[in-house]
Amino acid sequence: MSFALLMKDEIRGFYKSKVMIFLWIGLPLLTMLFHFWSSLQGGGIPFTALSAIITSGIGGTLASVMLTVSIINEKTQHVYDLFLVRPVRRWNIILSKFLAVYACIAVASLLSLLLGLIIDYINVGSVSGTVLNDTVLSLATSFSMMAVSSSAGVLIGVVSPSVLVGVILVIYGGNQISALPIIPTILNISNATLFTITFGTVTTSIMLVLAIFLFNRKQL
Amino acid sequence: MGKPPDNDVSILLEGVSKRFGNFLALDNVSFRVNSGEIFGYIGPNGAGKTTTIKIIVGLLSDFQGNLSIGGHSMPKERSEVHKMLGYLPQNVAFQEWRTIDQALKTFGKLSGLGKNETEERIKEVLDLLNLSLERYKKISQLSGGMNQKLGLAQALLHMPRLLVLDEPLGGLDPASRHQIKQTIVKLSKAGTTVFFSSHILSDVQDIATKIGILNRGRIIQMGTLEELKSRFSVGNDVEVVLSYDSGHWKELESFKGIRGIEQPIPNRLIVHVDEKSNLDDVIQDLIEQLIVLGCRIRSFNPLSPSLDEVYLRFVQERENT
Repeated sequence: MSFALLMKDEIRGFYKSKVMIFLWIGLPLLTMLFHFWSSLQGGGIPFTALSAIITSGIGGTLASVMLTVSIINEKTQHVYDLFLVRPVRRWNIILSKFLAVYACIAVASLLSLLLGLIIDYINVGSVSGTVLNDTVLSLATSFSMMAVSSSAGVLIGVVSPSVLVGVILVIYGGNQISALPIIPTILNISNATLFTITFGTVTTSIMLVLAIFLFNRKQL
Repeated sequence: MGKPPDNDVSILLEGVSKRFGNFLALDNVSFRVNSGEIFGYIGPNGAGKTTTIKIIVGLLSDFQGNLSIGGHSMPKERSEVHKMLGYLPQNVAFQEWRTIDQALKTFGKLSGLGKNETEERIKEVLDLLNLSLERYKKISQLSGGMNQKLGLAQALLHMPRLLVLDEPLGGLDPASRHQIKQTIVKLSKAGTTVFFSSHILSDVQDIATKIGILNRGRIIQMGTLEELKSRFSVGNDVEVVLSYDSGHWKELESFKGIRGIEQPIPNRLIVHVDEKSNLDDVIQDLIEQLIVLGCRIRSFNPLSPSLDEVYLRFVQERENT
């Protein structure tokens, strides 16, 4: 009950911060602009691949910075005190925040990919099996990268003493970690999608468990 | 230990100590607050009041000693205690994107209230705290006083049987302070135990049924206001208000049983009576002599020390030792 309520609240807060509008409308538009620019340059990167790079790159970074800043601010202002003196488990606070932000950027990512499929369909006339395979891989890659990025944002938010330190850590550390799931694709190994998803899930889980453990131990 | 009775909301601290690194914030603190009491917790800045409060509400769980609330051991049975607890932290803060309405709805539901009950209680507490007109205002737009009132609203929302308030009256205008003090007294009469800290000693004096003075992490005095006053002797001072001042009262300064006379403002005398003398005898002689000396007396009152004086005296005594 409290978990669902907290998550609904977090999504509402995310919506109110207007970042969600940027993600849902701005990111697909930005991807489209990049696609046309790339076509004019003669590069012609498939839209689906481009959207994965942009949503995970910009969306992932934005999500992790948002999570870090939000957790540090709420922690230092003792906002959580009012939740923790009620029958609410500490992990609910952390996990609801992570899932709310992740759900929002996942929707943005899906919207971008959907737009990519439509544009590729218009350009080529049909969506081939290769394109669909690429789409699945790009979806798995961007979802995994964003999950790692967001969980890094949560972990850094929990351990950082100040917003400045948190943002520096997210930009220089979180982004590097979020690139880990792309390794199977770069190495061109078979079953790259499966490896990417596994890599992303395991890394995200480890960071979230660590964040929850540290948040539980913290004397707020 | 058997199941504690539902109406027991007493607080019992036994030898509670808390250390932050090398700093000993609380040193062997022990006291009891009975169900339905209003406990005023006072002390200088950094004395350990907020640390005690955070331990009581379960936000600090790493401490030495024993703490039991309503028969439930803390922090082990924290979830049981949280069901009956309303808490207002010092410098209360909320997520700023929320409106008052959204914040209270969330806290109501998290405290276990149903949808309709939450709605009813929000209306009641907002009416009580004169916040009804601001119900749909964003928290980021609230003044400091309104934010404090919202803090109180969330603490009272689910009708808790134990209210723990850290500086509840700070930042409020006199009318709101009066209103909140009345609310606290009313809740206490209905059986709610209230534990509050404050720097405004006159407010503590007005409503607390028991007072604890904390200094440098140690309880230095504990009791009702009358008990504290009786332990603290300011001598037998008497206030005399004159309707006519002949000015000859100065001759009484060397009168038997009188240590000195002050005139803080015209027509008002503070007579310091020797503690060894019999107050009744000295007063009788004083009245007669003032009349003989041509003064006309309007009123005559033995002076009682205020909580401010008691507090300063106890804290200073402890500092000197």
